[in-house]
Amino acid sequence: MKNNEKVLIKGNYAIAQAAINAGCQCYFGYPMTPQTEIGEYLSSKMPELGRGFVCAESELAAINMVIGAVSTGVKAMTTSSSCAVALMQEALSYACGDEVPVVLVNVMRAGPGLGYIYPAQGDYNQSVYGGGNGDYKIIVLAPSTVQECVNYTYRAFYLAQKYRNPVILLADGLLGQMMEPASFGENPYPEVDVSSWALTGAKGREGRAIYSCAPDEKKQIQHIYNLFRKFEVIAENETSYDEFEVEDADIILTAFGSMTRNIKAAMKVLREKGIKAGCFRPITLSPFPSKRINELAKQGKDFVVVEMNMGQMLKDVEYSVKGQSKVSLINRPCGEWLSVEEIVSSVEKMVEVSYAAGI
Amino acid sequence: MEKNFILAGFGGQGILLAGTILANAFMLDDKNVTWYPCYGAEMRGGTVNCEIVVSDNEVSSVHKQDTDYALVLNQQSFDKFVQRVKSGGTIIANSTLVAESHPRNDIKYVFAPMGEMANELGTSKVTNVVSLGVLASVCDIVNKASLALGIEKVLGEKKKDLLPLNIKALNMYD
Amino acid sequence: MQQVFSIPNSMKKDFKYTFCPGCDHGIAVRLVAELIDEMGLKEKTICSTSIGCSVFLYDFLDVDCIEAPHGRACASATGVKRANPDKFVFTYQGDGDFASIGLAESMHTALRGEKVAAICINNTTYGMTGGQMGPTTIMGQITTTSPAGRNVDYNGYPIKIAEHIALCDGTAFSARVALDTVPHINEAKKALKKAFQVQLDGLGFGFVEILSSCPTNWHMSPEDAHKRVREEMMPVFPLGVFKDITAEVK
Repeated sequence: MKNNEKVLIKGNYAIAQAAINAGCQCYFGYPMTPQTEIGEYLSSKMPELGRGFVCAESELAAINMVIGAVSTGVKAMTTSSSCAVALMQEALSYACGDEVPVVLVNVMRAGPGLGYIYPAQGDYNQSVYGGGNGDYKIIVLAPSTVQECVNYTYRAFYLAQKYRNPVILLADGLLGQMMEPASFGENPYPEVDVSSWALTGAKGREGRAIYSCAPDEKKQIQHIYNLFRKFEVIAENETSYDEFEVEDADIILTAFGSMTRNIKAAMKVLREKGIKAGCFRPITLSPFPSKRINELAKQGKDFVVVEMNMGQMLKDVEYSVKGQSKVSLINRPCGEWLSVEEIVSSVEKMVEVSYAAGI
Repeated sequence: MEKNFILAGFGGQGILLAGTILANAFMLDDKNVTWYPCYGAEMRGGTVNCEIVVSDNEVSSVHKQDTDYALVLNQQSFDKFVQRVKSGGTIIANSTLVAESHPRNDIKYVFAPMGEMANELGTSKVTNVVSLGVLASVCDIVNKASLALGIEKVLGEKKKDLLPLNIKALNMYD
Repeated sequence: MQQVFSIPNSMKKDFKYTFCPGCDHGIAVRLVAELIDEMGLKEKTICSTSIGCSVFLYDFLDVDCIEAPHGRACASATGVKRANPDKFVFTYQGDGDFASIGLAESMHTALRGEKVAAICINNTTYGMTGGQMGPTTIMGQITTTSPAGRNVDYNGYPIKIAEHIALCDGTAFSARVALDTVPHINEAKKALKKAFQVQLDGLGFGFVEILSSCPTNWHMSPEDAHKRVREEMMPVFPLGVFKDITAEVK
């Protein structure tokens, strides 16, 4: 699957195939609904290609296997879902401190705890803010279509190596399970030169060590400052988003991941009803496109955040708006996605209330 | 244009596969399309369903509250999804397993003995493909030639020998 | 003049051990470095380090090292090896790291027959945090978290690591050695060499448990600590080779 021919494919399989095309040399994983198909797909493909595949004993082991593999300069990934991604937080903190290019795919299900397998978007905070210790940041990409699952998987492997930083591809159960036509093309990103840091054996040079802590306080402090300078560069270069009809909009619907589809449709319906709605959709949840949201808020445009959780991205939108305009939330914790009709009627009510209040 | 279809039946009746063939047919017609299953524990026995949305534009919500078409192969699915058909929409039912009834008067009903028609071909396994033939006969936007290509795509090289049987099944209803 | 002693080539030239005086870690690390030299492995070695007293191993050994989180060294080593089947990969861990928090990773690495070597230092205590009860703390042993001595009702039993690893079908070699006497040190080096060699020969998981003294946390002189290794540890943790598939082949 390396041409531009469209194939009807599940999001999970699309991610798996894109990882192969991106040059992923090793996959380590543990079954977890609703992303198990990724491991199933790769369990036959990787050996065929002479690449590494391990059914790890746990998600803990899986992500640490990834750390081992990527520290040697190869591309590797693990995939899992919400409550099992929670198990990986320690390793993500290490991977950030170690500056190793871990790629993790999280096909979200519900929470807290076991959360059953309903689709949900409750891992925004877990991905963007992380559950690991210390000051660290992860690059988080949120696809909204199966085609974007392909494109952002390519991008995830590239960004991880380019910045020597973990990248999370944050999908959801809906995207993982649905089929949609997608084409794979060629991985559009160049190979990153890893020779200055990868562990390849101390041949003709001193032994190299990759580690997150220094026994010398000054060095440790410097290490954190260096990491954060890197995060600034990432924010400058890699922040990405889509926006639709925001120019004349009074109210901007905002969502991430597959909910983007629904707010785009809701926007059209609202416009037909005479409400000037626009759409704003962050592609990188981290770095978050705060600057652009702030620009739009300064123009007096209100924001409505639509998400399948109790209001997680809401906080980042509020932070970005900085009180310049009104921010509201339309949400449900998990399960059936908020329908276009539900979004439209909620927005209509908000507009009526605002009108009645004279604002 | 955006239309959606719910396909439902017993686990084992090949309903997800029928949905995959239908979605492939729409893709081959250069339409935007999504296929979304009920998944997880629901897949273990009992009824199973999938939803196909086809659109000239980008598909919005892949899982909608109501549907333009419901294709149901068993009684439980009929009872469940007859309530979710849009006013003016159509429910297409396998009368081999579904008792003919008309609980609403604002939708269209098509009953066809899909199971029996499949048995005429020697196997009830192709009930799902027979049902797609029925769907194509009553729904303008579903193209039988594209369905045939969809079947070929889904069967692939490995199961190519099953193609003639399935094409026959597709053409059972006229 | 004949040179009778030198620092192994595979050790950093300016290293300063962070181990306590009298601790056996220093001997173990040196044995590993000597073997890497003698077996010509330096240029193809990648070590998966651990958390505990061994945490700064990368400051002593002049080989490539990846820092694994606590308990995960065998998982990281698996990742390194699967990505680089031609490299020589080993872990160097304490008993808490290998057999308590990391027991699942350690066991499964052995069960998969992962072609890596693992070295586990057993000193019957959590050394770096100041001498708490660990998975290998022997019955009756007083630690900061078993002040009345390890007892069955509260604490259960210590694990015999080398025997357990030997039971795994993927294990090619498993042995327990000690560093209290020169003959034992020589035996230890032989065992380590075997554990390394089975990896190079593609036979499976190689494992060596090293009984080690911890004078600081045992509150003993180095000499008394070695006496304890002999008199209290060896009866519970007998020295020996528990599995060697190369011997079975013969």
